[in-house]
Amino acid sequence: MSDLDRAIAQLRSCRPIPESQVREICHKARELLIEEGNVVTVAAPVTICGDIHGQFHDLMELFRVGGDVPDTNYLFMGDFVDRGFYSLETFLLLLCLKVRYPDRMTLIRGNHESRQITTVYGFYDECIRKYGSANVWRYCCDVFDYLALGAIVLGASNTLSTGTEPVDEDTEIEVCDQSGTVMSRFPRPMPRPNSAEGPARSPNGGGGGSGDRTGPPGSGASGSSGGSIGNPTGAVLCVHGGLSPLIDTVDKIRLIDRKQEVPHEGAMCDLLWSDPDEIDGWGLSPRGAGFLFGADIVKIFNHRNDLSLIARAHQLVMEGFKEMFDASIVTVWSAPNYCYRCGNVAAVLELSEDESGTGLFARSNGDVGRSDGGRGVMMEGETFVRNGPARRYRVFQAAPQDSRGMPAKKPVADYFL
Amino acid sequence: MEPPQKPVAPPALPALPTLKLLDLSNLPPFSKPIKRINDGPDVSRFLKSLAYRDIGIFILQLNHALVPRHQPNTPLPRVFPLPSTNTVSNTQSIRALQQLLEVVESYLDEAPPDPGPRRFGNVSFRKWHGLLEERIDGLLDEGRLGETLKVGNGQAKEEVSSYLLGSFGSSQRLDYGTGHELSFLAFLGGLWKLGFFQDGQQQDGEIEREIVLSVIEPYLRVVRKLILTYTLEPAGSHGVWGLDDHAFMPYIFGSAQLTRPINSNEATPLEGSVRGAPRPADVTKPTAVEDYRKVNMYFSAIGFINDVKKGPFWEHSPILFDISGIKDGWGKINKGMIKMFNAEVLSKFPVVQHFTFGELFSWDLDPEAAEPAQSVHMANQPIVSAAVAGTSGPPPPGSGTGAPWAQATRMPPASSGPGIPYTRAPPGPSSGSLGARPTGRSFGGETTNAQISVTKAPWAKD
Repeated sequence: MSDLDRAIAQLRSCRPIPESQVREICHKARELLIEEGNVVTVAAPVTICGDIHGQFHDLMELFRVGGDVPDTNYLFMGDFVDRGFYSLETFLLLLCLKVRYPDRMTLIRGNHESRQITTVYGFYDECIRKYGSANVWRYCCDVFDYLALGAIVLGASNTLSTGTEPVDEDTEIEVCDQSGTVMSRFPRPMPRPNSAEGPARSPNGGGGGSGDRTGPPGSGASGSSGGSIGNPTGAVLCVHGGLSPLIDTVDKIRLIDRKQEVPHEGAMCDLLWSDPDEIDGWGLSPRGAGFLFGADIVKIFNHRNDLSLIARAHQLVMEGFKEMFDASIVTVWSAPNYCYRCGNVAAVLELSEDESGTGLFARSNGDVGRSDGGRGVMMEGETFVRNGPARRYRVFQAAPQDSRGMPAKKPVADYFL
Repeated sequence: MEPPQKPVAPPALPALPTLKLLDLSNLPPFSKPIKRINDGPDVSRFLKSLAYRDIGIFILQLNHALVPRHQPNTPLPRVFPLPSTNTVSNTQSIRALQQLLEVVESYLDEAPPDPGPRRFGNVSFRKWHGLLEERIDGLLDEGRLGETLKVGNGQAKEEVSSYLLGSFGSSQRLDYGTGHELSFLAFLGGLWKLGFFQDGQQQDGEIEREIVLSVIEPYLRVVRKLILTYTLEPAGSHGVWGLDDHAFMPYIFGSAQLTRPINSNEATPLEGSVRGAPRPADVTKPTAVEDYRKVNMYFSAIGFINDVKKGPFWEHSPILFDISGIKDGWGKINKGMIKMFNAEVLSKFPVVQHFTFGELFSWDLDPEAAEPAQSVHMANQPIVSAAVAGTSGPPPPGSGTGAPWAQATRMPPASSGPGIPYTRAPPGPSSGSLGARPTGRSFGGETTNAQISVTKAPWAKD
């Protein structure tokens, strides 16, 4: 058993690893992350997760529900740390898994992966308490600076893979509970009879760039079923917060110099801080960082960038996930009973692999159709909605708590000495 | 357990300072209190202000009154448990505030929580708060309150009213935190200065005890009801690493209720518990908490945590859990709570930035205040801006006007006169706000429902 495997085993049992080992792993992780682009390309199948916030036992529950690493390919959209009791164990475990299985684990940065935020919201205090010094906090923060800002999921299927129960081809959304039992299913809306190839059914042009709306159905990369709903979907953009008024194409994200503390404003800040909202255009965020953005912004952005969906985290949703704006954006939240009191359930989003066999689109590194961005269509001001990938949400509750042993009381803060 | 008290009283100390009454024949020019703390470094200026001095005096005065007292001719000390909730005070001023709180609470019936879709905080809280804003003027016109607040052409009323209005959370952010709690303390302190509580028993802390047990605790009950009804989020939560999501004062006054007894002219004890007090470790036992929450403010606060949180106590409240391991009794806890309040509430930019200053709580320099010294607490702050500067990040916020960590956690030395008498904040995990300058944009969007524990940018101006 390698040192890394031992560290993983120790962290899985929720015990912190020695400071020297943290240093080593953070160093290795940085070497790995430095090679990643700002926007990582991930091939489906993938399980997309939202905020964890140091809820280690709930992360274990997530792995139980979603499948273990490396069997399941995971994408975590940030906010591993702060607020919870086990930010340290949570982040280090995810980081170790990243180093051990780099192709099966994608970590992108959340607004809490920042020096300034962690000093206000708990992770700094936790490191001091668990190690007696800020060294481990510093090592972790140095890793934060190298985390990618987003990910593009390619090759997601229009149909769901078979879960615990057989699934129809026309199922667009399936919601399962933590034991895999199907709670609800939503079929794709049927095409309108007089416009069978209406905008929502428009095939993805595969490598074809912006011409996707004019091509005949089923052209391009072709669908898995050959039917009107069987076309491969556009890509899925994953980002912690949302969009930025300074970013109109995914390529612009790639141009950011990300290896720094999260700035207080600008594109990088916005990607990690913004929220979708029921407004038109852009609005000021009550958070004091990032912006609010409306449905029009999302639809234009998705169209321009050949995206079918934006997956993001950053906001508690009581049901674990929330699709907005005609399913053009979804919030995924993976911290059940947030802060021990919110009473919410958590969710992960599974996208299955398009097995139509073309593979063309899926392996193209996410740049397909983005160079010209479909500007012509944009200028017409259309709010064209791409046919999204089939989505399975696994909803789960907080891990049972009775098995956790009570630790010894630690020395109190100096106020009480 | 405390050994029987010594028969010989210790040497009498100079009387504990109490908040001075205003000279009603020579009133200052009251005005609507305004915000003064706009930037991190303003916090250190605040710590030298008359307002800071007065808040400190008032807290310590109230705290001292709750400490159990030796009684002549009996070995049993006099303790000061919470009265039962339906006890009506005979003191007119206290009764007036109890009635005010009852009225304010009744607005909940007029603003039932919105059943519609929401993320977390319930927008109907805005309606409740609107009712308060609408009616606060009338509320303060009634009876003894109205008489007291007539002074200064009604301007004193404006000052007092703004503190009361700030006591019940933010309707914009749908949150509640220690800053709002502080505002209620200022409301009471303002009334004190105007002589409102002069009708009570002034000797040996009697009226102070009534203020805490019969006004502050009922206020906390109203606040808890608001938090539950509208799922108000903790303002600026440190998550599990804060003392409590919303409150601080009940931990100060509740620990005072359980410290070892003193004679009235003695200082507040720094260790020891009164005979019969629950043990500090009992806060981790739900049954003990249920037993004591009706009589003790500390246990009342813990009881509320147990009501709203699910999970092991040591995990969701590790700071309180650790404190429950203290061996030197409730006096030690009380001393620590006051220090911690000074450092984590009064010295923290995100909390005190909302405090407003007028004549009752004045921004003027306290002539007695010493120049704050660099504290260990400050020195131990993670130096974020240095880390930022080491990369290609933006310049540290507030550069040019002082380093962002230079705000706060400075205290006058104990010998420098009144105020909270501790010379330094501890070097503990201070996790302070960085008190940064806002970045130029002015925020205040109202379109998004607040959520519990939504993260706000610490550099944002409210």
